[in-house]
This record gives sequence, C-alpha cells and structure tokens, in this order.
Amino acid sequence: MKSKSVYKIPNGKLLKIFLDYDEKNNLINDISITGDFFAYPEEVIDLIENDLIGTKLEKSILLKKINLIIKENDIKFIGLNAKGLTQGIFMCLK
Amino acid sequence: MKEQWRLLHTENNSAYRNMAIDWAVLKANSEGKIPPTVRFYTWKPSAISIGYFQSLNEEIDIDICKKYGVDYVRRITGGGAVYHENELTYSIVIPESHPQIPKNIMESYGRICGAIIKGLKHLSIESSYVPINDIIVDGKKISGNAQTRKSKTVLQHGTVLTDVNVNKMFSCLRVPDEKIKDKLIADVKQRVTSIKHILGEEVTFAKVAQAMKVGFEEEFNIELEEGSLTKQELEDTMRFEKEYFSTKEWNHKK
Repeated sequence: MKSKSVYKIPNGKLLKIFLDYDEKNNLINDISITGDFFAYPEEVIDLIENDLIGTKLEKSILLKKINLIIKENDIKFIGLNAKGLTQGIFMCLK
Repeated sequence: MKEQWRLLHTENNSAYRNMAIDWAVLKANSEGKIPPTVRFYTWKPSAISIGYFQSLNEEIDIDICKKYGVDYVRRITGGGAVYHENELTYSIVIPESHPQIPKNIMESYGRICGAIIKGLKHLSIESSYVPINDIIVDGKKISGNAQTRKSKTVLQHGTVLTDVNVNKMFSCLRVPDEKIKDKLIADVKQRVTSIKHILGEEVTFAKVAQAMKVGFEEEFNIELEEGSLTKQELEDTMRFEKEYFSTKEWNHKK
C-alpha cells in the first residue's frame, strides 16, 4: 500500500514521507524521506531509505534501527531527529 | 596584513548555472586551488530552488513555472524551496578547518549570517539571526540560508530580499488548495519583508552588494578582492550544469 505523511518536527522542519508498505506482513517495501530539513552528509538519507527497506513497521524496531544508522555513519541532522523520523513513518499507516 | 579572500560578481545567470558555479567553487577550494570565496549573484530568468531533500512535484507547480518562464532547480544544500526574483543571493566557500569557521554546524550558520547582519546594518537595517537558518527584521524574515559540507569544505548560500512579490511566488509554489493559498499568502506577507519594504525605497543591487561586501570583511576581518572564475572552475561549472542541474534525473530525484 502506498501512503504519505506530512509531519512538522517539534522545533524542527517539515517532514514528508512517502511510504510503500506490505500491509499483510507489516514491512516497508519502499520509502522516500523528503522535506526542508538538513542532513550531513546529505547522502545518508539515501542510505537510511535503503536500510529501512524490509524493516518491520514497529516503532521500537524503527527507532532502534534509525538510531543505529545515525551512530554508525556519524550523521548530523538539523531540523530532524530519529524520533521525528519514526513518527513521520508511523503517520503513513492507515 | 589582512587575509585576502576572493569576491565574485556573477549576475543574471540561469538556475542551473548558478548552482553549478557554487559547486565548482566548492570543488576548487577543496582542492586548494582558490582562496575562500564570497560570491554575489542574481537569477535570470527568475527561478525556484528546492532543497536537496525536497520532492520537486510536492513543492512546485511545474506547469505554472513554465507558463511564467520561471526556472527550477534542486540545490546541493538542504532546506526549503526559495523563489528567487528580487534579491541578492550570496555564497561563501571556505575550508571547514579555517579558523574563522566554527566546527559546529549551527554555530557556523550563525557566524556566516553575522556577515549578512553587518551588511544590512550598513543599509541602516537592524536584523538578527534566528536559528535554524533565518535572518529577521522586526520579526519578519529577510534572509534564508542553507549550508552543506563536502570534501572538508563549507558552502553556505542564502538570500537577501530586496523586494518581494508574494502573489507571483505562490503561483509557482505548490500549496494544497486555494483557501489555504489565500491564508498562506496573507500569512507570508506578515512574515516576510524586504529592503525596499523596510527603507521605503528601491535600493540598487550594486549598493546592496557593496554593503554585503563590507559586512563579510568586517565579520571575518578580511579583505575581499574582486576576481573571476578560473578556467578549471568554468569547465567544472559547465560539466556540473550538464551532468546534474539541467537534468531531469537530478531535479526529479525525489
């Protein structure tokens, strides 16, 4: 199923997520993370999108995975954070 | 003797060319081939630049842009969509390791915005930096800024509004429906200002550029020396324009 969310990160920027997910198994098929936030280096958003494919749509699993990617790649966000990203993804679920 | 940085004036370029120049200068600086560089520029035709992470179709009404002859391009920096018409756009390229540039990204935004604030002061305008990336006058935005760091080099570019046509801006930017559009236009008119609006008169681009030049010189305690793009920068500009900014693949990446 394809879905979209628009989420204003508290004290941050406007996040727009485009999600394609497998309703039956609750898995991410594809995801596009867009918005007016900043991420350093910029290429990490592609990395996060790729790493999230096949991930179970459970908040704790998503948050843990996103935090791990941030730590492993020394990612710096401005106007975005792991919690907000997780929330944005969850808002796509119907 | 004060450190000398290069100053570029490159007016009236297309959106593709403008973004390609910024990247070419970043590349040249990262290779140690040019000193820190400040550039003042304008856009011809008018253009919308979107942030690196934004979806083009979400942000821009492409048909309306084509109708009005407004260019559109994806930047290499994050941040939001910007309508470029009556403004001075600046960019600064400088090594991350330069003592004048804070390692902390947020602090470096504030430092570079300090040059714009000092420049505005020379036009008798009192402004202040509001994190994350705005400069405001009396609570209204006059400048938006965006920074990237690649190959240990900082590129920050931003706008200084000399005038603003909110109605035209919102024809090209995509807004969900007409009711919201009316409300947004009213809202943006309340939140955005320009040099012309504040001073009550038109100020030439040359005068704004001169004020900003002094602003950068004071903020960083340097001298800006007029220069031009090197042969290598010109070649890279053409290459980046052709391979990235003018392509559907780049602009429709998201």
